[in-house]
Amino acid sequence: MFFINKQKQIESLLDDYRQQVSKCLEVFELAFAQYLDEPDRNRLEKNFLDVSSAESAADTIRQEVEVMMYSKALFPESRGDILGLLETMDKVPNQAETVTQTLLNQHVLIPQQYREQIKQLITICRRCVEAMLDGAEKLFTDFTNATVAVGKVDELESEADHIEEAIIEQVFSSNIEGFEKILLRDLVRQIAGISDRAENTADRIRIIAAKRRV
Amino acid sequence: MSALLSFSPLGGGLFLGWTLGANNAANVFGTAVATRIVSFKKAAILCGLTVVLGAVLQGSAGIRTLSGLTQQSISTAVIISVSAAITTTIMTYLRIPISTSQAVVGAILGISLSVRNAEYSGLTKIVLCWIGTPIGSMIIACVVYKILGWFISHIPMSMLTRDKILWSGLLIVGMYGSYALGANNVTNSTGIFSGLIQGVSDKTLAAIGGAAIAIGVLTYSKPVMLAVGSKVMPLDAFSALVAVLAMSITVHVFAIIGAPVSTSQGIVGSIIGIGFMRGVRVINFRILRDIALGWVLTPLIALILAAAGFAIFISSAG
Repeated sequence: MFFINKQKQIESLLDDYRQQVSKCLEVFELAFAQYLDEPDRNRLEKNFLDVSSAESAADTIRQEVEVMMYSKALFPESRGDILGLLETMDKVPNQAETVTQTLLNQHVLIPQQYREQIKQLITICRRCVEAMLDGAEKLFTDFTNATVAVGKVDELESEADHIEEAIIEQVFSSNIEGFEKILLRDLVRQIAGISDRAENTADRIRIIAAKRRV
Repeated sequence: MSALLSFSPLGGGLFLGWTLGANNAANVFGTAVATRIVSFKKAAILCGLTVVLGAVLQGSAGIRTLSGLTQQSISTAVIISVSAAITTTIMTYLRIPISTSQAVVGAILGISLSVRNAEYSGLTKIVLCWIGTPIGSMIIACVVYKILGWFISHIPMSMLTRDKILWSGLLIVGMYGSYALGANNVTNSTGIFSGLIQGVSDKTLAAIGGAAIAIGVLTYSKPVMLAVGSKVMPLDAFSALVAVLAMSITVHVFAIIGAPVSTSQGIVGSIIGIGFMRGVRVINFRILRDIALGWVLTPLIALILAAAGFAIFISSAG
């Protein structure tokens, strides 16, 4: 009974964590969408706080899971796998927070002609994260199908890479100032970094599922 | 004092019981301990308790059977048990899982050859069982691996639920195996003294033998447990369960058809079977060679020790 309760508690916390990561990406996308439609620094500042607090809430849940893991309720192998998964997954909301902070602190100017593409890149990145979160959820509902669930992540990450390269290529062939090109390139790279981190987590999920495959 | 003296020949049986526990506990809990699913302490306590339970509740039947098969004097019984115990201790020190039955049969044969009344008719059946057990266990492990694997792959579940199923399975099968170990193998420990010590019933012999096995499990079983559970090939939780389950089924099937067999040979056969299912490259053939050599040497060493012990006894007696 003790074991069952522990399992339920851990699964419930992991579910909360996934929801928090998803929420963090949702407010991140909203922050960028609003800024790209109408660059208002006051609103961006408020939205950054939302992203930051969502990231921080995810961190709190992750720490709670980690403490519970050390109560030795699980197999040592599963404990290590889940801790590794959380560590890798945590980089996703961290990256979303970093990108928003970069936009806010570095006053990056985003010319009108790139706004739609950047919005598209963010949408793809968010879809990529959602696909990764689906795979992570499968580990705790139907682990043999987790690999199938994360199959979409690679596809979306590759799509994000293409958009990233296309934007950078266009930026460097444009007439905007050199330093602005660099800032814009870095921002685009950071945004695409979200899908890279989702892909890293998907790789972890694949390994966890493969280790348990008969 | 006289009561104590009347129990003193049992020392050899207790020694053999201790080595049996130290060596054979690996067969039921080795895979669970080596995969760190069950701690050694927990496994040793559970195994020790269920071994005593098996010995006390069902061990005396085997003791009666053995006393019908071989007639020994108190002196030869002591020589046999001490020879088998020394052999098992050597193999335990070398971390080789062996059959204590092999050691006891080897020692009995050593005495029989010395007094020139060896009976070979039953020996062929015993040797065939020694060969048949690992092969049978290997085949059963492949079948169990396929069947259980199908269920694990086709029933949607959380990876944590899977862990829980494997953990419970390993504990249940391990305890069942320990119970069977106590019930079947206590015969090897103190069974040979059946009817030889005045005032000591078969039930008492079983309880004493069971306690000796349990002490062996608690004090010196960890090295062989780890060797069985990790040296032949690295096992995961699923393979650990399949190995113990296949071994238990094999030993049970052989017991039903009237052939008492070794759990050591059963577990090694199971692990090899799983190795074939996962790809032979995962099997450590050097360790397998050492184990096979141990199985060949065990009856031979016990035979030589018993024959030598008997010769010393005769010359000192005069």
